[in-house]
Amino acid sequence: MGWAWLILLLATYPWLLGADLATDAMASSSLVFFVSGTCLIAPCRRLRRWQAILLAASLGFLFEARRPIPDGALALTLVAASIFLSSNRPLLRNTPSMLRAAAVVNLGACLVWFISAAYVAPAPALDLGWHLALQLLLAGLVGTAGLIPIALTQNAAMDRLGVPPAAESP
Amino acid sequence: MDQNRQGARASYVALSIFVAVWILLPSAVRRLNREAFVEFQAPALHLLGKSRDLATFWEKKSRSVEEMSAAGRDLARINAALEIKVNALEDLRRENVRLREITRYNVPAEYMSVVARVATRDSSSWWQRIVIRKGRNDGIRPGAPVVFGNTVVGRVTAVHLTTSEVDLVTSPGFRCTGYLEGDDQNHIVLINGVAANSLGTAKARVSVIPRDYSMPAGQQARVFTTGMGGVFPSRLMLGYLDGGTYATQVGNFKESLLIPSRDLYNLQEVSVLVPLHQNPGEALMQGDQFQ
Repeated sequence: MGWAWLILLLATYPWLLGADLATDAMASSSLVFFVSGTCLIAPCRRLRRWQAILLAASLGFLFEARRPIPDGALALTLVAASIFLSSNRPLLRNTPSMLRAAAVVNLGACLVWFISAAYVAPAPALDLGWHLALQLLLAGLVGTAGLIPIALTQNAAMDRLGVPPAAESP
Repeated sequence: MDQNRQGARASYVALSIFVAVWILLPSAVRRLNREAFVEFQAPALHLLGKSRDLATFWEKKSRSVEEMSAAGRDLARINAALEIKVNALEDLRRENVRLREITRYNVPAEYMSVVARVATRDSSSWWQRIVIRKGRNDGIRPGAPVVFGNTVVGRVTAVHLTTSEVDLVTSPGFRCTGYLEGDDQNHIVLINGVAANSLGTAKARVSVIPRDYSMPAGQQARVFTTGMGGVFPSRLMLGYLDGGTYATQVGNFKESLLIPSRDLYNLQEVSVLVPLHQNPGEALMQGDQFQ
């Protein structure tokens, strides 16, 4: 189904909104709840490559839309990640591998976002290492903890859309 | 397997070409793309804000009669105190009108006030901003000052159809000039946001404080806007000087930190003062990359 990626994006959006709400609640700590990388894992197992690419680009652009970072920095990183994951599906063969992939992709995407934000920042940040470490730790934890519920939602949406299940030995 | 590898290689090549095209594309196309994704999210943000209002409504509706009557009693007391204040203000207003007539000074109504609800808050080391539920459709323009009462909250940095983004006073991109309370010579100081520490309280820096300035005894010195530059009206409150002042490296001036006079992350609604005529600050904002 050609529009599966768009419907999947709409199914995933509540999680992104939830992350924005959590960021809102944590605003005084200057930390951002980052889940865009995690939202990419389950679709990359089942969607066709071009659909995964469109979904990744949309996820990236949705995050970038309300934040001052260079246009496309995160979206193109997520696209590259989606190409890699959809071409190496054995890396996502079981739940532990998916959890590992979620942590790595979410952490990497978060790092790209952080560096892009620093690049266009109007002023140098104080205590950058400490903040980066905290932000990456949060992204890694959220990426791992958030994968199961997000993947459940996405798998349910893909089942309904008739997307073929992931092969046992891809 | 070979087909998969070939497909992956083709995708990487396509991505590289797209990255090159993306960099060379006119910025208007990128901005259009950004706008499209902002507008995609706007209904959800509105829904979020309105559902929060609804939750507050039901929470208040579920209070017991005893609680409501206690709150009513408290309100009656506050009302009585406020009535006295209103009378005092009415006296001041009359005096103001009389003095204006004497000096024949006609203050132009330069601003239009637009009250907006806060939809979400977002902060990192490099920005502290809020998203409000009013946008271009309501007449808001980039660069407009955002206030709560007589307190400066920040400045509009990006305007979309139904939402706007506001850089708070503590955001590193925020800059304005101010006067210090207790400085009889009205020296101008510079206020700009400071990149925040993780888990720390966001503050702004007050620089170019004259060496001979001493803070009023027994109270925190307030910082007011100057009204210069045409962005903020004069005598709006920016906040308080944090503790003492310290000398800069060169030693010609002193610096201090500014504590915002309100908790900026707990604001529920703000007023946007939209200038009726375009001001120089606003014209500069239009050249900004992140509108």
